[in-house]
Amino acid sequence: MYGYVRRGNSQPAWLFPFVVTIVMLLSVLPLARLAQAGIEALLRGGAYELISDPALWRAAWYTVETAVLGTVISVLLGCLFAFLLTLTDIPGSGPLGFLFVLPMMIPPQVTALAWVQMSGPSSPLLKALHIAPPLGSPQPLYSVGGIALLYGVQHAPLVYLALRAGLMALPRDGVEAARLSGASGFRVFRDIILPLSLPGVIAGAAIAFVSSIGNFGIPAILGIPASIFTLSTLIFTKFSSFGPRTFGDIAVLSAMIAVISVAGLAVQGKALKGRDYRVIGLSGASAAFALGRWRLAVMPLLWAILFIMLVAPFFALVAGALVPAYGVPLTFKTASLHAFTEILFRQAVTRVAFSNSLFLAGMTALGLLAVTVLAAYCLTRRKDMLSRIVGGLIEIPYSLPGIIVAVCFILVFAAPLPVLNITLYGTIWIILLAYFSAYFAVSLKPVMSAFLQLDPALEEAARLSGAGFFRRLADIIVPLIAPAAGASVILVFLIACNELTVSALLWSAGTQTLGVVIYNLDDGGSADLASAMSVIVIAMVVTMMLLLEILAKRLPKGVVPWRS
Amino acid sequence: MKTFVSALAGLLAVALFSGSAVAADLVLYTSQPNEDAQATVDGFMAANPGIKVDWVRDGTPQIIAKLQAEMQAGAPVADVLLIADTVTLERLKEAGKLMAYKSPEAANYDPALYDADGYYYSTKLITTGIVYNTAASMKPTSWQDLTKPEAKGLVAMPSPLASGAALIHAQTLAGVGSLGWDFYKNLAANGAIASGGNGAVLKAVASGEKAYGMIVDYMPIREKAKGAPLEFVFPTEGVSAVTEPVGILASAKHVDAAKKFVDYALSEKGQQGFLKLGYIPARNGMQLPAGFPARDSIKVLPLNAAEALKNTDQDLKTFSSYYGSK
Repeated sequence: MYGYVRRGNSQPAWLFPFVVTIVMLLSVLPLARLAQAGIEALLRGGAYELISDPALWRAAWYTVETAVLGTVISVLLGCLFAFLLTLTDIPGSGPLGFLFVLPMMIPPQVTALAWVQMSGPSSPLLKALHIAPPLGSPQPLYSVGGIALLYGVQHAPLVYLALRAGLMALPRDGVEAARLSGASGFRVFRDIILPLSLPGVIAGAAIAFVSSIGNFGIPAILGIPASIFTLSTLIFTKFSSFGPRTFGDIAVLSAMIAVISVAGLAVQGKALKGRDYRVIGLSGASAAFALGRWRLAVMPLLWAILFIMLVAPFFALVAGALVPAYGVPLTFKTASLHAFTEILFRQAVTRVAFSNSLFLAGMTALGLLAVTVLAAYCLTRRKDMLSRIVGGLIEIPYSLPGIIVAVCFILVFAAPLPVLNITLYGTIWIILLAYFSAYFAVSLKPVMSAFLQLDPALEEAARLSGAGFFRRLADIIVPLIAPAAGASVILVFLIACNELTVSALLWSAGTQTLGVVIYNLDDGGSADLASAMSVIVIAMVVTMMLLLEILAKRLPKGVVPWRS
Repeated sequence: MKTFVSALAGLLAVALFSGSAVAADLVLYTSQPNEDAQATVDGFMAANPGIKVDWVRDGTPQIIAKLQAEMQAGAPVADVLLIADTVTLERLKEAGKLMAYKSPEAANYDPALYDADGYYYSTKLITTGIVYNTAASMKPTSWQDLTKPEAKGLVAMPSPLASGAALIHAQTLAGVGSLGWDFYKNLAANGAIASGGNGAVLKAVASGEKAYGMIVDYMPIREKAKGAPLEFVFPTEGVSAVTEPVGILASAKHVDAAKKFVDYALSEKGQQGFLKLGYIPARNGMQLPAGFPARDSIKVLPLNAAEALKNTDQDLKTFSSYYGSK
């Protein structure tokens, strides 16, 4: 054990093994169990029936089709906003950027509900404006195109953020040199900026693709009514018609999603391979282009897109929450707060959901922080192969679709724990563990970047003066990384609060989460209650994002994802 | 710095105060819509102060799936079931998953409405008929009207895969000489869609996305009273019916509370609660909710429960062959 600790490395001997144990528990064990269940199902031969089922291949096809189309839309939207907000002198880029990333933080099923309320013959909003389509018109969003469109809206911020990070690092002198030599703005964009920003676009596209593959909320609300199943909704429906083969079947289906996700990431790797994008020179290409007259065309365009993406669906959602019954047009006479009072004061399940989601999100954020401070400390100090592998293992569950994480934890904890003889399945603790696994990487990132910026001299001085590990931790390290830790906590809290996919398979009596309740309310025909609850959740998200925005001034760069 | 510490402290406080799932004294799995389930539970808790109820709502097939998954994991959570149909409970009884309890309230019920050994008791009568949007051109009066050209592409129905009542409904109509499975085949050929539960049908028809639907009675009758553009018809051939039985699981951890729940659901007070929500109570001598025609004018089609249970898998396959996923 002693040789384990490197010279000149101040960490205690137990630290790295401790981190490795946690990673084994949260990443390796669940994934290994999934692989095992999948292989067992294949070997038992029951898998032939599953694999030969045309429904499976249709679902795989829809999964890829919607994800590819959605990615295209995300890339178009993300690039438009990233280029215009980063490179031009467009006024109001701060609020525009904040609003553009908002959809990313809103639960997908809420986005889907809002858009459904906005369009089609059902829309209380269109009815109030007397422009609703006639009786018998199909809801256009219940289609492959509808699913892809909402994937595009939901994941465009991911492309925006990935591209923006690259654009901020563009060499300003290259652009200026070209400009001085008389190159036109278009020429500079085509020959310098576009090639250099390609890695960001590809990275963003890959994240958008993988997120679309794993999305559950959008295909659940838009696809199931039209009998269009993606792999994640197929897993969900298999689970809701539970039979003796279900555990094996969903393991095989999960493996299939994992393969598609990994293939998407591999294409990304291939696209970036063999290209060298290192740039020299001053970065910070802020406002390289003056919009001039174009401003009059570009500004309304961006605000119009944001209006369609955010404002209109939100008002539709509010209208849907205010009508007394489905199909009634919203007027001052018909509007009622019934749905809000029912949600807030009558329904026990919504109170349960609020308290569960807050509890889970709070515990996940704080519990993970304790682990991530230790993990980030030892991963940034040991710069060897082993710690890189551990870092990679932490990333895996986050990059996999939530439904796979849920399936893994069902498989590991469905049976009572050995020795202790306690069953975690059906309790809130299995959801908590799955959240720990899914959001480890989210929590780690800000803390890691804070550690990398930390000057080791301070801690060394303390060590030389005889301060022990915990002393240094409490007196030096934690105060220095506190801002990043705060951001990590809020970020994880925000994401975990709105989670649906993981808990959709893991919830039970008394452990419903916000995401589950919204989905279940809509599924049971109480669209008004689902809308009211969604409105409250959106208000909560915006409040927390504004809180992060206020904190952002004191944080290291890159910690709040939508800030530059 | 101080801001962060207090922010962290605040979050911690929220997390701790909100607490995890508090242990309940009774866990109910039900297929009633949320508002009704809450009202039922509220009524029960008012009649039995001191018993805290946790409840889960989902479609009957999903509830059964959840239960099965929990049983396989060795930790069934539910104590009492209040779900769509007796066929499902009969199946659970035969598998030894239910507990017999002879409720004293049974004396007020038609013996056909409960299990003689006390494994389950019907609580209400829920019929499935036709709903149409008031803007629709045709006013349907019979099931066959839904296969007419006027209804082409405009009919929605709940899927038997997602709704217990829908399964019984399909099995009932399939047993009627003039309808049979051919009726479902013709409907599919006429562009009818089957997906989700009754809630989805309500939404589709109330919104005008579809003009006609097959649906359980209470939903459109209640929504119409709230102003939704809906009308409900009891078709001339007759309607199918489920009775939303209540039963105690053999694995129940809160047996006494569960027995109290069964007694409450069958008691006059509990039945009044269902009546107020717009359901036809199963108990003798009760009134009908507002918006319903006289009870003797509703023609309920017969269903042989034992036959239905035996044929369920085959019937689901037949249905799926007409309305498979795209």
